[in-house]
Amino acid sequence: MSKPVVIVVGADKGGVGKTTVSRTLLDYFSANNVLTRAFDTESPRGTLKRFHPEITEIVDMTTTSDQMKIFDTLNAASPSVTVIDVRAGLLSPALASLRDIGFLDAAKTGQITFAVFHILGPSIASLDEIAETANFMSGAKYFLVKNFINDTQFFQWDQATYNSYFHRIKDATELTIPKLNEMAYEQVEVSSVPFLKFVANKGVHDEAANYSFVLRGYVRHWLANVWSEFDRIKLTDLVGATKPVTRGGEK
Amino acid sequence: MSHTPVYIICSPRPLVGKTLMARLLSEFLLLKNGNVVSFDINLKEPSLLDYLPKTTETADVIDTYGKMQLMDRLIVDDGIAKVIDLGFHAFDEFFKMSDEIGFLKEAARRRVAPIILFVADTDRVSARGHEMLLRQIPASALVTIDNEYVVRGELPAAMSGGRIVRIGALPAFLKTYIDRLNFSFTDYLRNEKDSSTELHQWVRRNYLGFREMELKLILQR
Repeated sequence: MSKPVVIVVGADKGGVGKTTVSRTLLDYFSANNVLTRAFDTESPRGTLKRFHPEITEIVDMTTTSDQMKIFDTLNAASPSVTVIDVRAGLLSPALASLRDIGFLDAAKTGQITFAVFHILGPSIASLDEIAETANFMSGAKYFLVKNFINDTQFFQWDQATYNSYFHRIKDATELTIPKLNEMAYEQVEVSSVPFLKFVANKGVHDEAANYSFVLRGYVRHWLANVWSEFDRIKLTDLVGATKPVTRGGEK
Repeated sequence: MSHTPVYIICSPRPLVGKTLMARLLSEFLLLKNGNVVSFDINLKEPSLLDYLPKTTETADVIDTYGKMQLMDRLIVDDGIAKVIDLGFHAFDEFFKMSDEIGFLKEAARRRVAPIILFVADTDRVSARGHEMLLRQIPASALVTIDNEYVVRGELPAAMSGGRIVRIGALPAFLKTYIDRLNFSFTDYLRNEKDSSTELHQWVRRNYLGFREMELKLILQR
Protein backbone atom coordinates (compact mmCIF):
# COMPACT_ATOMS: atom_id res chain seq x y z
CA MET A 1 0.00 0.00 0.00
CA SER A 2 1.29 3.48 -0.83
CA LYS A 3 2.25 5.96 1.85
CA PRO A 4 -0.60 8.18 3.10
CA VAL A 5 -0.43 11.71 1.80
CA VAL A 6 -1.82 14.70 3.68
CA ILE A 7 -2.07 18.08 2.01
CA VAL A 8 -3.01 21.02 4.17
CA VAL A 9 -4.23 24.15 2.43
CA GLY A 10 -4.36 27.16 4.67
CA ALA A 11 -3.51 30.70 5.62
CA ASP A 12 -3.92 32.72 8.74
CA LYS A 13 -5.50 35.49 6.72
CA GLY A 14 -9.04 35.23 5.38
CA GLY A 15 -10.20 35.79 1.80
CA VAL A 16 -6.97 34.80 0.11
CA GLY A 17 -8.42 31.87 -1.85
CA LYS A 18 -7.75 28.79 0.29
CA THR A 19 -10.90 27.00 -0.78
CA THR A 20 -10.35 27.96 -4.42
CA VAL A 21 -6.90 26.36 -4.35
CA SER A 22 -8.31 23.30 -2.54
CA ARG A 23 -10.90 22.98 -5.29
CA THR A 24 -8.26 23.13 -8.01
CA LEU A 25 -6.31 20.43 -6.18
CA LEU A 26 -9.33 18.14 -5.97
CA ASP A 27 -10.05 18.72 -9.65
CA TYR A 28 -6.40 18.04 -10.50
CA PHE A 29 -6.35 14.77 -8.60
CA SER A 30 -9.68 13.76 -10.10
CA ALA A 31 -8.36 14.44 -13.62
CA ASN A 32 -5.24 12.42 -12.82
CA ASN A 33 -7.23 9.50 -11.41
CA VAL A 34 -5.85 9.99 -7.90
CA LEU A 35 -8.45 8.94 -5.33
CA THR A 36 -8.77 11.72 -2.82
CA ARG A 37 -10.79 12.58 0.27
CA ALA A 38 -11.18 16.07 1.64
CA PHE A 39 -11.91 17.70 4.95
CA ASP A 40 -13.42 21.12 5.22
CA THR A 41 -12.70 22.81 8.52
CA GLU A 42 -15.16 25.62 7.93
CA SER A 43 -17.47 24.10 10.51
CA PRO A 44 -20.49 24.08 10.59
CA ARG A 45 -20.88 25.33 6.98
CA GLY A 46 -18.34 24.19 4.45
CA THR A 47 -17.67 25.87 1.14
CA LEU A 48 -15.49 23.05 -0.11
CA LYS A 49 -18.23 20.54 0.67
CA ARG A 50 -20.65 22.54 -1.46
CA PHE A 51 -18.46 21.96 -4.52
CA HIS A 52 -17.22 18.44 -3.77
CA PRO A 53 -19.92 16.92 -1.56
CA GLU A 54 -19.17 13.26 -2.34
CA ILE A 55 -15.61 13.32 -1.08
CA THR A 56 -15.71 16.09 1.52
CA GLU A 57 -16.49 15.92 5.19
CA ILE A 58 -16.88 18.93 7.45
CA VAL A 59 -14.76 18.74 10.59
CA ASP A 60 -13.84 20.97 13.50
CA MET A 61 -10.08 20.66 13.73
CA THR A 62 -10.00 22.12 17.19
CA THR A 63 -11.76 19.07 18.63
CA THR A 64 -9.92 15.88 19.44
CA SER A 65 -12.68 13.68 18.03
CA ASP A 66 -12.45 15.31 14.61
CA GLN A 67 -8.65 15.24 14.68
CA MET A 68 -8.98 11.48 15.27
CA LYS A 69 -11.45 11.26 12.39
CA ILE A 70 -8.80 12.68 10.06
CA PHE A 71 -5.51 11.34 11.29
CA ASP A 72 -6.42 7.99 12.82
CA THR A 73 -7.92 6.91 9.51
CA LEU A 74 -4.96 7.82 7.32
CA ASN A 75 -3.74 4.27 6.94
CA ALA A 76 -7.17 2.71 6.85
CA ALA A 77 -8.76 5.09 4.37
CA SER A 78 -8.90 3.82 0.81
CA PRO A 79 -8.00 7.10 -0.92
CA SER A 80 -4.43 7.59 0.13
CA VAL A 81 -4.54 11.34 -0.44
CA THR A 82 -6.20 13.61 2.09
CA VAL A 83 -6.72 17.30 1.39
CA ILE A 84 -7.55 19.49 4.38
CA ASP A 85 -8.90 22.97 3.72
CA VAL A 86 -8.01 24.81 6.92
CA ARG A 87 -10.18 27.79 7.63
CA ALA A 88 -8.79 31.30 8.11
CA GLY A 89 -6.82 31.85 11.29
CA LEU A 90 -6.45 28.18 12.01
CA LEU A 91 -3.29 27.29 10.10
CA SER A 92 -0.77 27.95 12.85
CA PRO A 93 -2.92 26.35 15.61
CA ALA A 94 -3.60 23.37 13.32
CA LEU A 95 0.11 22.87 12.67
CA ALA A 96 0.80 23.19 16.39
CA SER A 97 -1.79 20.47 17.05
CA LEU A 98 -0.20 18.25 14.42
CA ARG A 99 3.15 18.70 16.08
CA ASP A 100 1.64 17.91 19.49
CA ILE A 101 0.05 14.66 18.34
CA GLY A 102 3.31 13.51 16.73
CA PHE A 103 2.08 13.87 13.18
CA LEU A 104 4.94 16.13 12.14
CA ASP A 105 7.45 13.66 13.53
CA ALA A 106 5.83 10.91 11.46
CA ALA A 107 6.23 13.10 8.41
CA LYS A 108 9.86 13.76 9.31
CA THR A 109 10.61 10.04 9.54
CA GLY A 110 8.95 9.45 6.20
CA GLN A 111 5.95 7.44 7.35
CA ILE A 112 3.61 10.03 5.90
CA THR A 113 3.97 12.45 3.03
CA PHE A 114 2.97 15.84 4.31
CA ALA A 115 2.59 19.00 2.23
CA VAL A 116 1.40 22.44 3.14
CA PHE A 117 0.02 24.87 0.60
CA HIS A 118 0.35 28.20 2.32
CA ILE A 119 -1.87 30.66 0.49
CA LEU A 120 -0.56 34.20 0.58
CA GLY A 121 -2.62 37.32 0.33
CA PRO A 122 -1.28 40.57 -1.04
CA SER A 123 -0.35 42.20 2.27
CA ILE A 124 2.54 42.36 4.68
CA ALA A 125 0.37 40.78 7.36
CA SER A 126 -0.13 37.78 5.14
CA LEU A 127 3.56 37.57 4.33
CA ASP A 128 4.43 37.69 8.04
CA GLU A 129 2.69 34.34 8.43
CA ILE A 130 5.45 32.70 6.44
CA ALA A 131 7.97 33.04 9.25
CA GLU A 132 5.49 31.73 11.78
CA THR A 133 4.47 28.75 9.69
CA ALA A 134 8.03 27.92 8.71
CA ASN A 135 8.76 26.78 12.26
CA PHE A 136 6.60 23.72 11.69
CA MET A 137 7.86 22.82 8.28
CA SER A 138 10.76 20.47 8.79
CA GLY A 139 9.79 17.17 7.22
CA ALA A 140 7.04 18.75 5.17
CA LYS A 141 6.89 19.94 1.59
CA TYR A 142 6.19 23.62 1.93
CA PHE A 143 4.56 25.47 -0.95
CA LEU A 144 4.18 29.22 -0.86
CA VAL A 145 1.20 29.95 -3.06
CA LYS A 146 0.97 33.42 -4.52
CA ASN A 147 -2.70 33.65 -5.31
CA PHE A 148 -3.39 36.53 -7.67
CA ILE A 149 -6.92 37.30 -6.54
CA ASN A 150 -6.29 40.86 -7.71
CA ASP A 151 -3.51 42.70 -9.51
CA THR A 152 -1.13 42.50 -6.61
CA GLN A 153 2.62 42.30 -7.27
CA PHE A 154 3.62 40.56 -4.00
CA PHE A 155 6.28 43.24 -3.59
CA GLN A 156 8.24 42.03 -6.59
CA TRP A 157 8.89 45.67 -7.38
CA ASP A 158 10.80 45.91 -4.08
CA GLN A 159 13.38 43.15 -4.26
CA ALA A 160 14.57 43.57 -0.66
CA THR A 161 11.09 43.11 0.79
CA TYR A 162 10.34 40.29 -1.63
CA ASN A 163 13.53 38.41 -0.77
CA SER A 164 13.06 38.91 2.94
CA TYR A 165 9.84 36.95 2.72
CA PHE A 166 10.13 34.55 -0.15
CA HIS A 167 13.76 33.56 0.21
CA ARG A 168 13.72 33.25 3.98
CA ILE A 169 12.79 29.58 3.95
CA LYS A 170 15.32 27.42 2.22
CA ASP A 171 13.17 24.56 0.99
CA ALA A 172 9.96 26.40 0.23
CA THR A 173 8.66 26.16 -3.32
CA GLU A 174 6.83 29.10 -4.83
CA LEU A 175 3.65 28.55 -6.75
CA THR A 176 1.62 31.04 -8.71
CA ILE A 177 -2.14 30.89 -9.09
CA PRO A 178 -3.22 33.37 -11.79
CA LYS A 179 -6.29 35.53 -11.51
CA LEU A 180 -9.55 34.10 -12.78
CA ASN A 181 -11.98 36.37 -14.60
CA GLU A 182 -14.42 37.70 -11.98
CA MET A 183 -17.60 36.83 -13.84
CA ALA A 184 -16.35 33.34 -14.56
CA TYR A 185 -15.55 32.88 -10.89
CA GLU A 186 -19.00 34.11 -9.87
CA GLN A 187 -20.72 31.86 -12.39
CA VAL A 188 -18.94 28.81 -10.99
CA GLU A 189 -19.92 29.95 -7.49
CA VAL A 190 -23.56 30.19 -8.49
CA SER A 191 -23.53 26.82 -10.23
CA SER A 192 -21.95 25.09 -7.19
CA VAL A 193 -20.05 22.58 -9.30
CA PRO A 194 -16.34 21.73 -9.45
CA PHE A 195 -14.34 23.71 -12.02
CA LEU A 196 -14.00 20.56 -14.12
CA LYS A 197 -17.75 20.06 -14.37
CA PHE A 198 -18.20 23.72 -15.23
CA VAL A 199 -15.71 23.43 -18.08
CA ALA A 200 -17.51 20.30 -19.29
CA ASN A 201 -20.84 22.20 -19.16
CA LYS A 202 -22.34 19.85 -16.60
CA GLY A 203 -24.61 20.47 -13.63
CA VAL A 204 -24.43 19.14 -10.08
CA HIS A 205 -25.80 15.73 -11.08
CA ASP A 206 -23.86 15.53 -14.36
CA GLU A 207 -26.86 16.77 -16.32
CA ALA A 208 -26.23 18.99 -19.36
CA ALA A 209 -25.95 22.63 -18.30
CA ASN A 210 -26.02 25.88 -20.23
CA TYR A 211 -23.08 27.89 -18.94
CA SER A 212 -21.67 30.66 -21.07
CA PHE A 213 -19.11 29.44 -23.57
CA VAL A 214 -16.99 32.52 -22.85
CA LEU A 215 -16.95 31.92 -19.10
CA ARG A 216 -16.23 28.23 -19.58
CA GLY A 217 -13.37 29.19 -21.84
CA TYR A 218 -11.92 31.50 -19.21
CA VAL A 219 -12.19 28.81 -16.55
CA ARG A 220 -10.62 26.18 -18.83
CA HIS A 221 -7.72 28.50 -19.66
CA TRP A 222 -7.20 29.42 -16.01
CA LEU A 223 -7.46 25.84 -14.78
CA ALA A 224 -4.91 24.71 -17.37
CA ASN A 225 -2.52 27.38 -16.07
CA VAL A 226 -3.06 26.33 -12.46
CA TRP A 227 -2.54 22.69 -13.32
CA SER A 228 0.63 23.48 -15.22
CA GLU A 229 1.92 24.88 -11.93
CA PHE A 230 0.95 21.62 -10.19
CA ASP A 231 2.71 19.73 -12.96
CA ARG A 232 5.77 21.92 -12.47
CA ILE A 233 6.03 20.97 -8.81
CA LYS A 234 5.42 17.30 -9.77
CA LEU A 235 2.40 17.00 -7.55
CA THR A 236 1.39 13.62 -8.96
CA ASP A 237 4.84 12.26 -8.10
CA LEU A 238 4.46 13.63 -4.60
CA VAL A 239 1.22 11.74 -4.07
CA GLY A 240 2.58 8.61 -5.71
CA ALA A 241 0.46 8.61 -8.87
CA THR A 242 2.12 6.86 -11.75
CA LYS A 243 0.11 7.00 -14.93
CA PRO A 244 -0.08 10.27 -16.83
CA VAL A 245 -3.55 10.84 -18.26
CA THR A 246 -5.16 13.11 -20.85
CA ARG A 247 -7.01 15.77 -18.97
CA GLY A 248 -10.24 17.36 -20.09
CA GLY A 249 -9.65 20.67 -18.34
CA GLU A 250 -6.81 21.65 -20.59
CA LYS A 251 -6.95 23.18 -24.01
CA MET B 1 -25.02 19.74 -43.56
CA SER B 2 -22.40 22.47 -43.89
CA HIS B 3 -20.94 24.48 -41.04
CA THR B 4 -22.37 27.83 -39.97
CA PRO B 5 -19.92 30.48 -41.20
CA VAL B 6 -18.79 33.37 -39.00
CA TYR B 7 -16.92 36.03 -40.97
CA ILE B 8 -14.76 38.30 -38.82
CA ILE B 9 -13.65 41.39 -40.72
CA CYS B 10 -10.77 42.99 -38.93
CA SER B 11 -7.71 45.21 -38.96
CA PRO B 12 -5.74 46.96 -36.23
CA ARG B 13 -5.98 50.13 -38.32
CA PRO B 14 -8.90 52.52 -38.78
CA LEU B 15 -10.33 53.57 -42.14
CA VAL B 16 -9.09 50.64 -44.22
CA GLY B 17 -12.54 49.60 -45.46
CA LYS B 18 -13.74 47.13 -42.82
CA THR B 19 -17.26 48.50 -42.68
CA LEU B 20 -17.46 48.60 -46.48
CA MET B 21 -16.42 44.93 -46.55
CA ALA B 22 -18.94 44.10 -43.85
CA ARG B 23 -21.70 45.86 -45.80
CA LEU B 24 -20.82 44.10 -49.03
CA LEU B 25 -20.55 40.68 -47.43
CA SER B 26 -23.71 41.09 -45.34
CA GLU B 27 -25.72 42.13 -48.40
CA PHE B 28 -24.25 39.27 -50.42
CA LEU B 29 -25.16 36.69 -47.75
CA LEU B 30 -28.62 38.17 -47.34
CA LEU B 31 -29.17 37.93 -51.08
CA LYS B 32 -27.82 34.39 -51.31
CA ASN B 33 -29.23 32.84 -48.11
CA GLY B 34 -32.18 35.06 -47.30
CA ASN B 35 -30.77 35.77 -43.86
CA VAL B 36 -27.66 37.07 -42.12
CA VAL B 37 -26.85 38.47 -38.71
CA SER B 38 -24.21 41.18 -38.54
CA PHE B 39 -22.49 42.50 -35.45
CA ASP B 40 -21.10 46.00 -35.26
CA ILE B 41 -18.15 46.31 -32.90
CA ASN B 42 -17.24 49.86 -33.82
CA LEU B 43 -17.20 52.83 -31.53
CA LYS B 44 -14.93 55.15 -33.42
CA GLU B 45 -15.54 54.44 -37.10
CA PRO B 46 -18.46 54.69 -39.53
CA SER B 47 -20.99 52.22 -38.29
CA LEU B 48 -22.41 49.15 -39.99
CA LEU B 49 -25.51 49.63 -37.87
CA ASP B 50 -26.26 52.88 -39.72
CA TYR B 51 -26.13 51.13 -43.09
CA LEU B 52 -27.90 47.86 -42.31
CA PRO B 53 -30.05 48.48 -39.24
CA LYS B 54 -32.44 45.58 -39.96
CA THR B 55 -29.77 42.89 -39.84
CA THR B 56 -27.17 44.45 -37.55
CA GLU B 57 -26.74 44.30 -33.81
CA THR B 58 -24.20 46.20 -31.75
CA ALA B 59 -21.75 44.36 -29.54
CA ASP B 60 -18.60 45.06 -27.61
CA VAL B 61 -15.66 43.21 -26.18
CA ILE B 62 -14.77 45.79 -23.53
CA ASP B 63 -16.02 43.76 -20.59
CA THR B 64 -16.84 40.13 -19.90
CA TYR B 65 -20.58 40.69 -20.17
CA GLY B 66 -20.20 42.14 -23.67
CA LYS B 67 -17.95 39.24 -24.66
CA MET B 68 -20.55 36.75 -23.43
CA GLN B 69 -23.33 38.52 -25.34
CA LEU B 70 -21.30 38.32 -28.53
CA MET B 71 -19.42 35.03 -28.35
CA ASP B 72 -22.29 32.95 -27.00
CA ARG B 73 -24.21 33.95 -30.14
CA LEU B 74 -21.32 33.27 -32.50
CA ILE B 75 -20.76 29.75 -31.26
CA VAL B 76 -24.26 28.55 -32.19
CA ASP B 77 -24.66 26.31 -35.25
CA ASP B 78 -28.00 27.75 -36.37
CA GLY B 79 -27.27 27.80 -40.10
CA ILE B 80 -27.37 31.62 -40.20
CA ALA B 81 -24.16 33.22 -41.43
CA LYS B 82 -22.71 35.88 -39.14
CA VAL B 83 -20.63 38.90 -40.11
CA ILE B 84 -18.54 40.76 -37.53
CA ASP B 85 -17.37 44.27 -38.28
CA LEU B 86 -14.54 44.39 -35.75
CA GLY B 87 -13.38 47.93 -35.01
CA PHE B 88 -9.63 48.55 -34.88
CA HIS B 89 -9.76 49.38 -31.18
CA ALA B 90 -11.20 45.92 -30.42
CA PHE B 91 -8.72 43.97 -32.56
CA ASP B 92 -6.21 42.98 -29.86
CA GLU B 93 -8.78 42.29 -27.16
CA PHE B 94 -10.98 40.17 -29.43
CA PHE B 95 -8.19 37.85 -30.56
CA LYS B 96 -6.65 37.67 -27.08
CA MET B 97 -10.02 36.61 -25.73
CA SER B 98 -10.64 34.18 -28.61
CA ASP B 99 -7.32 32.53 -27.94
CA GLU B 100 -7.93 32.30 -24.20
CA ILE B 101 -11.39 30.81 -24.41
CA GLY B 102 -10.46 28.42 -27.23
CA PHE B 103 -12.95 29.87 -29.71
CA LEU B 104 -11.60 28.08 -32.78
CA LYS B 105 -11.53 24.65 -31.16
CA GLU B 106 -14.99 24.99 -29.69
CA ALA B 107 -16.28 26.32 -33.02
CA ALA B 108 -14.93 23.26 -34.82
CA ARG B 109 -16.63 21.00 -32.28
CA ARG B 110 -19.94 22.78 -32.79
CA ARG B 111 -19.84 22.88 -36.59
CA VAL B 112 -19.24 26.60 -36.72
CA ALA B 113 -16.64 27.90 -39.18
CA PRO B 114 -14.92 31.18 -38.27
CA ILE B 115 -13.26 32.89 -41.22
CA ILE B 116 -10.98 35.81 -40.47
CA LEU B 117 -10.96 38.47 -43.18
CA PHE B 118 -7.93 40.63 -42.47
CA VAL B 119 -8.04 43.98 -44.27
CA ALA B 120 -4.43 44.67 -45.21
CA ASP B 121 -2.51 47.91 -44.94
CA THR B 122 1.14 48.74 -45.47
CA ASP B 123 2.03 50.02 -41.99
CA ARG B 124 3.85 48.27 -39.11
CA VAL B 125 0.74 47.90 -36.93
CA SER B 126 -0.96 45.93 -39.69
CA ALA B 127 2.14 43.80 -40.23
CA ARG B 128 2.25 42.92 -36.52
CA GLY B 129 -1.48 42.22 -36.47
CA HIS B 130 -1.17 39.92 -39.46
CA GLU B 131 1.77 38.09 -37.88
CA MET B 132 -0.28 37.53 -34.75
CA LEU B 133 -3.15 36.11 -36.79
CA LEU B 134 -0.80 33.81 -38.69
CA ARG B 135 0.32 32.34 -35.37
CA GLN B 136 -3.19 31.98 -34.03
CA ILE B 137 -5.42 31.18 -36.99
CA PRO B 138 -5.05 28.17 -39.30
CA ALA B 139 -4.10 29.30 -42.80
CA SER B 140 -7.33 27.77 -44.13
CA ALA B 141 -9.41 30.19 -42.03
CA LEU B 142 -7.42 33.34 -42.74
CA VAL B 143 -8.18 35.47 -45.78
CA THR B 144 -6.37 38.70 -46.60
CA ILE B 145 -8.42 41.51 -48.11
CA ASP B 146 -6.40 43.43 -50.65
CA ASN B 147 -8.32 46.69 -50.81
CA GLU B 148 -6.82 48.58 -53.74
CA TYR B 149 -8.10 51.85 -52.31
CA VAL B 150 -5.87 51.29 -49.24
CA VAL B 151 -2.76 49.41 -50.37
CA ARG B 152 -2.62 50.86 -53.89
CA GLY B 153 -1.37 47.66 -55.45
CA GLU B 154 1.43 47.25 -52.91
CA LEU B 155 0.18 44.41 -50.76
CA PRO B 156 3.05 43.59 -48.36
CA ALA B 157 4.87 40.39 -49.31
CA ALA B 158 4.24 38.88 -45.87
CA MET B 159 0.50 39.09 -46.51
CA SER B 160 0.62 37.73 -50.06
CA GLY B 161 1.15 34.09 -49.17
CA GLY B 162 -2.31 32.90 -48.20
CA ARG B 163 -5.77 33.27 -49.61
CA ILE B 164 -6.51 36.76 -50.93
CA VAL B 165 -9.72 38.53 -51.91
CA ARG B 166 -9.14 41.64 -54.01
CA ILE B 167 -11.41 44.68 -53.83
CA GLY B 168 -10.89 47.16 -56.64
CA ALA B 169 -10.74 50.89 -55.98
CA LEU B 170 -13.70 52.98 -57.02
CA PRO B 171 -13.44 56.52 -58.40
CA ALA B 172 -14.02 59.17 -55.74
CA PHE B 173 -17.49 60.14 -57.02
CA LEU B 174 -18.68 56.52 -56.86
CA LYS B 175 -17.18 56.08 -53.43
CA THR B 176 -19.16 59.08 -52.24
CA TYR B 177 -22.24 57.53 -53.85
CA ILE B 178 -21.92 54.17 -52.08
CA ASP B 179 -21.07 55.86 -48.77
CA ARG B 180 -24.60 57.26 -48.53
CA LEU B 181 -26.42 55.61 -45.64
CA ASN B 182 -29.41 54.59 -47.75
CA PHE B 183 -27.32 52.95 -50.47
CA SER B 184 -27.74 49.21 -50.94
CA PHE B 185 -25.48 47.17 -53.23
CA THR B 186 -28.14 44.54 -53.89
CA ASP B 187 -30.83 47.14 -54.56
CA TYR B 188 -28.48 48.81 -56.98
CA LEU B 189 -27.91 45.53 -58.86
CA ARG B 190 -31.63 44.93 -59.01
CA ASN B 191 -32.70 48.42 -60.03
CA GLU B 192 -29.91 49.60 -62.29
CA LYS B 193 -30.84 48.49 -65.80
CA ASP B 194 -27.46 49.25 -67.30
CA SER B 195 -25.23 46.37 -66.21
CA SER B 196 -22.21 47.90 -67.93
CA THR B 197 -21.76 50.68 -65.38
CA GLU B 198 -18.54 50.66 -63.39
CA LEU B 199 -20.38 50.34 -60.09
CA HIS B 200 -22.55 47.50 -61.38
CA GLN B 201 -19.51 45.55 -62.44
CA TRP B 202 -17.65 46.38 -59.22
CA VAL B 203 -20.48 45.00 -57.07
CA ARG B 204 -20.86 41.90 -59.23
CA ARG B 205 -17.12 41.29 -59.19
CA ASN B 206 -17.09 41.48 -55.40
CA TYR B 207 -20.12 39.22 -55.03
CA LEU B 208 -18.42 36.74 -57.35
CA GLY B 209 -15.26 36.98 -55.22
CA PHE B 210 -17.28 36.14 -52.12
CA ARG B 211 -18.91 33.20 -53.88
CA GLU B 212 -15.50 31.82 -54.84
CA MET B 213 -14.23 32.33 -51.32
CA GLU B 214 -17.21 30.40 -49.93
CA LEU B 215 -16.73 27.62 -52.44
CA LYS B 216 -13.06 27.22 -51.57
CA LEU B 217 -13.89 27.11 -47.88
CA ILE B 218 -16.53 24.44 -48.45
CA LEU B 219 -14.19 22.37 -50.62
CA GLN B 220 -11.36 22.40 -48.11
CA ARG B 221 -13.58 21.08 -45.27
